[in-house]
Amino acid sequence: MTPTVPSVLAELAELALRNASPDVPAAERANALTLSSMILGLAAEVADGEADCLVAENRALAELLADAADETSFRLSALRAENARLRAGLIAAHAAAETAGDDARQDAIWAELRASTERRKLSVAPV
Amino acid sequence: MDHPLAPRIAAYVAARMPGTQGLTVADVEKIPGGASRETYRFRLTWREGGRDHERRLILRRDPPASLIDTERRIEFAAYRAFEGSAVPVPRMLWLEEDAGPLGAPFFIAEELAGFQTSPQVLFSGPYDAVLPRLAERKWTILGEIARADPIALGLTEVMDAPALDACWRRELDHWEGVIDREEAEPQPIARAAIRWLRAHPPPPAQRLSVVHGDYRTGNFLYDAAGEVQGVLDWEMAHLGDPLEDLAWSFNPIWRMGRGLAGGLVPQDEAVAVWARASGLAVDPAALHWWMLFNCVKGQGIWVGSARAFIDGGNTEPILIYAAWWLLNAQDRAILELMGKL
Repeated sequence: MTPTVPSVLAELAELALRNASPDVPAAERANALTLSSMILGLAAEVADGEADCLVAENRALAELLADAADETSFRLSALRAENARLRAGLIAAHAAAETAGDDARQDAIWAELRASTERRKLSVAPV
Repeated sequence: MDHPLAPRIAAYVAARMPGTQGLTVADVEKIPGGASRETYRFRLTWREGGRDHERRLILRRDPPASLIDTERRIEFAAYRAFEGSAVPVPRMLWLEEDAGPLGAPFFIAEELAGFQTSPQVLFSGPYDAVLPRLAERKWTILGEIARADPIALGLTEVMDAPALDACWRRELDHWEGVIDREEAEPQPIARAAIRWLRAHPPPPAQRLSVVHGDYRTGNFLYDAAGEVQGVLDWEMAHLGDPLEDLAWSFNPIWRMGRGLAGGLVPQDEAVAVWARASGLAVDPAALHWWMLFNCVKGQGIWVGSARAFIDGGNTEPILIYAAWWLLNAQDRAILELMGKL
């Protein structure tokens, strides 16, 4: 998930500090706090689920691409980098399957893409 | 306590209102939600001709990095073009493209006070009885925008006028370029949609129209009677295929979780209103192309918001919300429109 949770929390901490100043107009402070509160809720959901989502997705993509998922590290930064590598590979594989008219391959890729949006779906998602 | 912008706004406006005395700027308040421009309302008072005057005004200032990189001159011209027409817009007063006076380019307009823009308020219950009326007005006004003559409005002097058969390619090239430049991670669903769009181009536009570019529930002012009192947020205005605007209003992410176009009415009802007002036909296949295109455009905006935050050019919390909340929702909208969900 980008931006990352740590970078978002750091920004919200700075925002809270700025809003602690008595110079901030009350309406601006209220708006900032309301939005911050909503984002903190999302951050909790993202932080809890992101590693699980990335590991599951990287394994599914590796299987689909007949690749070997790099699991030497489970740090989020490493999982994200591996995910980006595999998703770039998926784009190339999808385009190649379209060019080749390989319907079965395309169906398998669409199934994984559909599953990826389910994994990444937030509880407040509009679609 | 005065807002730090107040004296700078007052100095700028005073220089443009010679012959006035005692000009003051008060009650400066930032309006939430603006990710492409910072928006403030304020109260201007002055004395002129022996009488006291007061006006409520809006300031729209460029942020350090925007979701949408457009010239405020074009946005200003679009508002001006529709003043006094069947498309209600606030009156524009001053455009300043120099960063000197307020730290970034901006414009100042009259505030249309006393109305709502919030979809959350609209769908909270009290407005239920007027939602059909609001839908009628929403898509009638969009039809009026489509019907307007960009040449007569003077907009061809500030906006590119693509050939009718080039409208789709111009827009798709632009938004694919945005995704190319700004994506923080690969976007396999948007890329599949782009390949499909290029392989199945739509027919030429029926006419060259003004395209608002962000016409959706949330970007117009409404009242308790279900009337649209002002169309806002013209920062993506351009000339192009009128179906582009209609399709953006049908983007699944703007259904507000209600399963209705713009959260208001079934899509076929909105299409009928728009067709009647615009005098234009709606080819279902062409509309589908433009709806899928608008999902790609949406992804361009959402990856741009993530990029602006990551690079530190703009760390407004609304950008986080757009990136986290809408990127995946927009992917699911693409899957839905491509029959893959």
